[in-house]
Amino acid sequence: MAEVRLNNLTKSYGGVEVIPPLDLTIPDKSFSVLVGPSGCGKSTLLRMVAGLEEVTSGQITIGGEDVTDADPAKRGIAMVFQSYALYPHMSVADNIGFALKLAKTPKDEIRTRVKEAAAILQLEDYLDRKPKALSGGQRQRVAIGRAIVRQPKVFLFDEPLSNLDAALRAQMRVELAELHEKLGATMIYVTHDQVEAMTMADQIVVLKKGEVQQVGAPLDLYNTPENTFVAEFIGMPKMNLLNGATAARFGGDKVGVRPEHLEISSDNPIVSGEVVHAEYLGADTIAHVQSAEAGRVVVRLDGSHPLQRGSEITLSPRPGCLRIFDANGQSLGAA
Amino acid sequence: MAVAETNNIISPAQGRPSALKRALSDGRLVTVLVFLPPALLLFTLFVTLPLIEAAGYAGYKWSGYGDPTEWVGMRNFEILQKHSAFHQSLMNTVWVIVASCLLQIPLAMSMALLIYRKTWSNTVFRLIFFAPYILAEVATGLIWSFIFDGDYGVAAMASQALGGEPFFPLSDRTWAFPVVLFVVVWKFFGFHMMIFIAALQGIPEDLTEAARIDGAKPGQITWFVKLPLLKPAIAVSVFFAVIGSLQLFDLIVPLTNGGPSNSTHTIVSYLYTFGLTRLKVGFGSAVGIVLFLITVAFAVVYRNTAMKET
Repeated sequence: MAEVRLNNLTKSYGGVEVIPPLDLTIPDKSFSVLVGPSGCGKSTLLRMVAGLEEVTSGQITIGGEDVTDADPAKRGIAMVFQSYALYPHMSVADNIGFALKLAKTPKDEIRTRVKEAAAILQLEDYLDRKPKALSGGQRQRVAIGRAIVRQPKVFLFDEPLSNLDAALRAQMRVELAELHEKLGATMIYVTHDQVEAMTMADQIVVLKKGEVQQVGAPLDLYNTPENTFVAEFIGMPKMNLLNGATAARFGGDKVGVRPEHLEISSDNPIVSGEVVHAEYLGADTIAHVQSAEAGRVVVRLDGSHPLQRGSEITLSPRPGCLRIFDANGQSLGAA
Repeated sequence: MAVAETNNIISPAQGRPSALKRALSDGRLVTVLVFLPPALLLFTLFVTLPLIEAAGYAGYKWSGYGDPTEWVGMRNFEILQKHSAFHQSLMNTVWVIVASCLLQIPLAMSMALLIYRKTWSNTVFRLIFFAPYILAEVATGLIWSFIFDGDYGVAAMASQALGGEPFFPLSDRTWAFPVVLFVVVWKFFGFHMMIFIAALQGIPEDLTEAARIDGAKPGQITWFVKLPLLKPAIAVSVFFAVIGSLQLFDLIVPLTNGGPSNSTHTIVSYLYTFGLTRLKVGFGSAVGIVLFLITVAFAVVYRNTAMKET
């Protein structure tokens, strides 16, 4: 059991409160992603779980054990840093086995466990190399290997893929998800990239200014956002938020509709306007429509859809796909 | 056939511009022509020519007045080789190097590890520890000669408090050189400390945090993570310490002036005392040549070994 619980946790720097009282449960063996814009407190939260940042008040439990004031090494966690944090003077094998060496593990066992971790991460051929002789992806694997070898209860990832190029990031996303399946450990992953969150998580925690906006499965957050912040943050392109007369028609202050939930149709129109830009992505066409009453609206159409810049189109939502929000941005349900 | 093959080969001149053309087009040649001559001129005037002249004077018995006329060949070097005070000055220089490397640098490293983090109190301590380095060496020597004076200084107060005879450490053959070493360490450790502080501040915080998570205690973080990453700084620090030790002079004169009985001379203070003050410029030049060779040999060997790896 390695459920992580944060009870009434707060963090302040001087008089500035960056994490107001926060309660959160990370289920055992889950892959939970903390996501939010820069400065929302997600990394601070992760560092508090790691023990690298002091807790101002509240409690952290891992597997039912209170670790609020415990040393990082005694929490049963391992962390993968954004910068990889590999020791540049040590070989790959020494990097991976460093924690075991400190724990005075017998040399034979260190060798065996390092080899096992290297095999999982396909690093067997690089064990004698120094980190500077590795590519970005290989370095990231070494950092993960260093975490694996300690057999922790909880893995913590602090934006581990942000230094990689787009192709490698996509590959590593898959590898991390598979690793989670293989190890069956609890993983907490911090990112500002909602695509990473959507593709890897069992549970997404959306944060804004240190406050939890919504917790749930990726598709729950996507389909039923509890507020406009989550509605806009999750999904790419982001959800269209229409207000004024269009929203009033549905009894709300704002009405949200995802780009793929709009279609060119006059059956139940909510937006009419001029196509100002179209992005042809092959499978999809992303059209930007300028409407007098609703402003800029983005719509995702079939890739083969021909659209002329300057042409007038009318868009209707698919039934049941509109989200209604009140003046405070809270969800009032679907329409 | 051979002609045809030759015709097929594109000469470097045809394929791409020559090195001279490239240097002209990217401005490198102009840069070299503008910046190199003044530097070469100054280096030649103030380093190369004096060195060659000194090498020439080393073969004369010459007081420094008039032209050197009395050619003695290698005689000055022979005297040097047999002079016990020179042997003592060589040994003393070695001891200064040893003290610098084994006392001063570890002390500087320890202090740097204690105060490298950016806090206001650490800034105050850095200033205090760096202050001796800012002091002029002659002033430092005078201050410490007063402190160790058996009539008025702290040494006098200590011997009075203990009820003993007045103690003059700087006039005592046993204590004079250890006192010099103490002052050398005190004066220069702040300089090395600053090198280490700069290097420590350059170590990414992630690395020490990763080590903490790996279970390393503060001492282990220092030993396994910080010290290996400080190797380049340590190499530079040792280089400066050794070169500085070989050039040590300004502290010696006000502290002991090489005494008692020439027991605290370094190579440079020996050169000054036996070469310049006794008007034996030829002999002094010979000492200078020996010192130059030792310094160059060390610099070349060290830069190609210890500093090459870093």
